[in-house]
Amino acid sequence: MKNKIKNLSVQVKMTVMSLVVNLFVFSINIVLLAGINNMSAKIDTVYQANIQLNELSASLKSVQDSMTEYLNAKTSDSLENYYKIAQEYSELTAGLSETVTGKTLDRMEFSIRNMSEVYLDEVGQTIEAKRGRNVEKYRTRYEEATKLYGYINTYIYSLNNEQFKENSENYREMVSALRTFETIGNIILIAVIVVNVLLILRLTAGIIRPLRSLTGMADEVAKGNFDIEPLTVWSRDEIGVVTTAFNQMVVSIQNYIRQVRENAETEQKLKEKELMMETHLKDAQLKYLQAQINPHFLFNTLNAGAQLAMMEGADRTYEYVQVMAEFFRYNVKKGSETVTIGEELELVDYYIYILNVRFSGEIHYEKSIDSSLLDVKMPSMILQPIVENCVNHGIRDMMGKGVIKMRVYGIDDYACISIEDNGAGMDEETIDALLNGRSLKGEKKDSNGIGMDNVMARLKLFVGSDDVLSIESEGPGKGSRFVIYLNNDVRETYDV
Amino acid sequence: MKNGRLRLSSLSIWVITGILAVLTVLLIFYYISFSTRLGAQEENTEYERYYAMITDDSDSSFWQSVYKSALASAKEQNAYVEMMSENLSKDYDIYELTEIAIASGVDGIIIEADESEEMTRLINKANDAGISVVTVYSDNSNSDRLSFVGINNYNLGKLYGGLILSLSAEKSFSKGKIRVVVLTDAYAVDTGQNVLFGAIQEAIETEPGSGKAQHPPIEVSMYSVDSTNEFSVEESVRNLLVKGREELPDIVVCLNEIDTTSTYQEVVDYNEVGLVNILGYYDSETILKGIDRNVIYATVSVDTDQMGQFSIDALSEYFEYGYTSQYFTTDISLINKRNVTEYMEDREEDEE
Repeated sequence: MKNKIKNLSVQVKMTVMSLVVNLFVFSINIVLLAGINNMSAKIDTVYQANIQLNELSASLKSVQDSMTEYLNAKTSDSLENYYKIAQEYSELTAGLSETVTGKTLDRMEFSIRNMSEVYLDEVGQTIEAKRGRNVEKYRTRYEEATKLYGYINTYIYSLNNEQFKENSENYREMVSALRTFETIGNIILIAVIVVNVLLILRLTAGIIRPLRSLTGMADEVAKGNFDIEPLTVWSRDEIGVVTTAFNQMVVSIQNYIRQVRENAETEQKLKEKELMMETHLKDAQLKYLQAQINPHFLFNTLNAGAQLAMMEGADRTYEYVQVMAEFFRYNVKKGSETVTIGEELELVDYYIYILNVRFSGEIHYEKSIDSSLLDVKMPSMILQPIVENCVNHGIRDMMGKGVIKMRVYGIDDYACISIEDNGAGMDEETIDALLNGRSLKGEKKDSNGIGMDNVMARLKLFVGSDDVLSIESEGPGKGSRFVIYLNNDVRETYDV
Repeated sequence: MKNGRLRLSSLSIWVITGILAVLTVLLIFYYISFSTRLGAQEENTEYERYYAMITDDSDSSFWQSVYKSALASAKEQNAYVEMMSENLSKDYDIYELTEIAIASGVDGIIIEADESEEMTRLINKANDAGISVVTVYSDNSNSDRLSFVGINNYNLGKLYGGLILSLSAEKSFSKGKIRVVVLTDAYAVDTGQNVLFGAIQEAIETEPGSGKAQHPPIEVSMYSVDSTNEFSVEESVRNLLVKGREELPDIVVCLNEIDTTSTYQEVVDYNEVGLVNILGYYDSETILKGIDRNVIYATVSVDTDQMGQFSIDALSEYFEYGYTSQYFTTDISLINKRNVTEYMEDREEDEE
């Protein structure tokens, strides 16, 4: 039962409450009104009797008058009138009490009733005597009747008085009773109002209590304290629903906060890792810078070697050392700069010279250059590695005469650099690997440190496109051809 | 409720509701009791027979006492006695009241009769109408009345005579003779009074010789009191007492309550206490006080209870058996200074 009440909605609760309260007041009112009504109805009946008596008195007078009239006039009209009135009077007296009781009023009615019978009889005899012209008789009868008339009148009057006395008594009592009734009624009504107020207070308190704790908790949450116990849900009404929702909300917020915290922690860790990597990078760069000292030192010593050869008069040694020094200087100076095709070609020249000294002129280097394209910009250290690749993979192990052909020409807006050998050639797989920047096996030995993958990557970055280099080979043993497509517009005058 | 501001245990709610319910029940109870009280103000018992009591002075305590007793015994026998003049707005004499009673169709009439012809006629008329008539206190011996209920006037006269004699012996009357006045009803053509008067005279005359020598001769006379209207009694009595000392009566014998009370009052008013000795009738409170204060020498107490009861008994017996005694004699007793306190105490006890 209690649970059922708890599960009602607030609206139903309120409605039921006001209904109960109003019904209570209403029923008390009904009782009060019924009492008062009943009492006033009694007061009414009290006077009803007096009215009836007055009618009786009037009727009696009519009887007496009609008799007198007949005695005076003796018309048939008055006789008829007399009969009618006498009948009426007789009917009226029939309503009076027939019995003798302890009640004065009843006994008086009894007397009036009997006297009226005698009186009517007397009147009847008077009329008869008059009709029979018995003067002596009707006169005495008339006197008798009149005497009785007087008595009855007195009785009616006295009865009226008695009744009035009793009624006044009743009335007084009734009025005082009414007052008492009213007072008690008012007290009860006031008590009912007090009880109602108490009831409403109690019931509304029951409704408001969970709301209050809810607001308290909401305040806590608003202050930022999410670490709260979930509220107890007392009922399944609207407030119960809100409380449940609030509890869920708090739980969700708690979960969310935990998640955010965890995420922050992960991010922190990632940042730390990144910082570490950066440190490593810096460290690597430092080591790289330290490593750069060596070419300078080599270049300077080579220069010193060249001057020594010149002073001793060994011209060929001098030239060789000079070219080597130039080659390394280029490496040191332009290692990370953008250069022109001309400068790159110069480095290739040095390289070929060094190789030919080393391998006693086995490599034929042919050049066909469109000189208008010499000042087109390109990244440094591109052509020499390609040439080195051609020498190492193409012609080094070749029987016969190795030829490297270098051509620079323009097609449309492009400046093309073609490097061709007549060496070992390449299969499709190798070409694909080279184009996609994968380093070849055993590449690094004997090179000056820059691999084909590096070349490819830098070229692609410089031009901003993948179609910067094409490698062609008609198969193993048939040589290979590298073609670089550079943008013709990028010249020395521009600073990239 | 944790904050406790509106804490109301369900117990207190129930207590208040309970009080309220009790109040409501009280209100309803009060209302019902009031309704029934209003309905049952007078008893609703129906009575088989209806008697009328007709007396000349129905308001006097003597007749009220008789009526009370009659009513009580009538109710025992399922009858009701009505004091006819009560509740009527007009004052009718006993003849008119008798006529009314006859016309009202009562079953019996108890009447303080007189010996007048009119009374005889009315009693006979009632009898003809099938209404039995009992005369009480004073009779109409010529009529067809059923019974007479009253005191024995001869005995009463003897009693008064004895009282006069003892008074004469007790008090030293300096005058030549002792004047005794018996107050009688001027209009009563009543043999009872004559019997009584005769008995008084007889008692005085037959006084033993030893007593006669000790007091002057006693002269007994009658004095008619006019009782036709309310004030005439007092006037008559005053006329008797407003006289020179020589003519003042030494002893006044009163034969009813009104005469006694009036005489007592006049004697006090005219400062004649001690000069005029009163022999009273009946034992109303005023009369008892008079004895206590030495104004009234003695009074006769008539047993009014018996009077009322016998009247009803006579009627009932007649209705039951068809006949009844012609005479019912009620007891009389003497009250004087010696036993008046007793009576007064008894009266007070009765009233309580």
